[in-house]
Amino acid sequence: MANRLLSASLAIAGKDLAIEWRTRTAFISSMVFAVLVLAVLFFARDPTAVANIDIAPGALWVTFTFAAMVGLNRAFLLERENRALDGLLLTPAPPTAIFIGKVLGNLAFVGAVELAALPLFILFYDVAVWRQLPQLLLVTAMATVAFVAVGTLLSSMVVRTRFAELMLPVLLLPFLVPPVVAAVQLTSRLLIGRPLSELAGWLKLLAAFDLVFVLLSVLLFEATLDE
Amino acid sequence: MPPTDVVVRLEGVSRRFGHRLILQEVSLDVARGEAILLIGKNGAGKTTLLRLIAGLLKPTMGRIERHGGVGMVAHHTMLYDALTARENLRFFAKLHVVSAQGSVESLLERVGLTDAMDQRIGTFSRGMLQRLTIARALLHDPAILLLDEPLSGLDDTGSQVVMELFADLRARGRAILIATHQIAELTPLGSRVGYLVQGRMAALEPLDGRGADAVLDRYRSLVSYRGQPAA
Repeated sequence: MANRLLSASLAIAGKDLAIEWRTRTAFISSMVFAVLVLAVLFFARDPTAVANIDIAPGALWVTFTFAAMVGLNRAFLLERENRALDGLLLTPAPPTAIFIGKVLGNLAFVGAVELAALPLFILFYDVAVWRQLPQLLLVTAMATVAFVAVGTLLSSMVVRTRFAELMLPVLLLPFLVPPVVAAVQLTSRLLIGRPLSELAGWLKLLAAFDLVFVLLSVLLFEATLDE
Repeated sequence: MPPTDVVVRLEGVSRRFGHRLILQEVSLDVARGEAILLIGKNGAGKTTLLRLIAGLLKPTMGRIERHGGVGMVAHHTMLYDALTARENLRFFAKLHVVSAQGSVESLLERVGLTDAMDQRIGTFSRGMLQRLTIARALLHDPAILLLDEPLSGLDDTGSQVVMELFADLRARGRAILIATHQIAELTPLGSRVGYLVQGRMAALEPLDGRGADAVLDRYRSLVSYRGQPAA
């Protein structure tokens, strides 16, 4: 049973990534968006009044969050075209496998966007992340799991609505506030060289968001499929 | 009929969308090797009935039993335009847990798409997509095949290919349920005909060699009996 769930999830994730690799529409849109946000926030600040290090954590997470949303929106729009979701539901793959497959595909997509945007962030904000890079990647991974899980759930909820692309950000942003605030707090401390051991409280909070968001999303997903 | 022969049984199935009752207390047994035509005008509940049997909708009331896999061909292809025909079928074969080795290619050959199997289906004509959709529905050798306007978009050759395929499936004991307006083309395949009028199964009768004209006359009589203008 577990093998079947895993193999169906991987097949769905692989299919989503193959389609994205072939079309690259969401990735290019996300990257254009990321560059624009980084540039606008960088040039909007007064360098004599605000130091790079003060604005950098917020800029990084605004960029990651909004760029990821473009990809999350696309996750279930793919299934709306030609009603492909019906095709998935006609197979013996359990709804949980569809959800996990979508989450895995989205994690790979958002991870790729984040990895591509990170060098741009370093270039714009000239922050010394290299020594703290593993810790920063850990925080990024934890926050990404939280917002991809809830974003995938909401994407499946809104996909049957007429204004799916507009509805997703409206519904998703309130849920993103807690993990993104935790991620910003952690990033700002990491960028000034604080060790990870000092940040245990925020890390635990982020881990709790991951646990709650993933579990709730898995439990609620099947209900979003009912017409 | 012996219970083991029944692949799908509906008991008093109704389905409501909001305040609209689309399907009312439909009961139906579909046995192995049967082909049932569902006749009714647009909005009579044909597609809803097929989606309920497929498990894509849940009944508001009533019970549906399924014995064996279900394949479905609907108005939409349920396929991915950015993938090739072969990739689409291999993907669905994985989800159906059937070996794609050889079976995908042989199905594509049966529906006459061997030459186009490595083309992205976004470039396919309507008829090619319909044939590929039928191949997708047959990947897991379902006990019952649900067809919603199966000849839609097919030219004469394509229609002939899929009609032979459906006849072969029947001969191998697979059940077929067909919602259609193309009565003349599909009557030769059917064993029974169900007339859906205003969401109710007004009659379900053996075809007994009746042609399309007789089926249409019967439908008109049922419609006028229920006080509806004939379609």
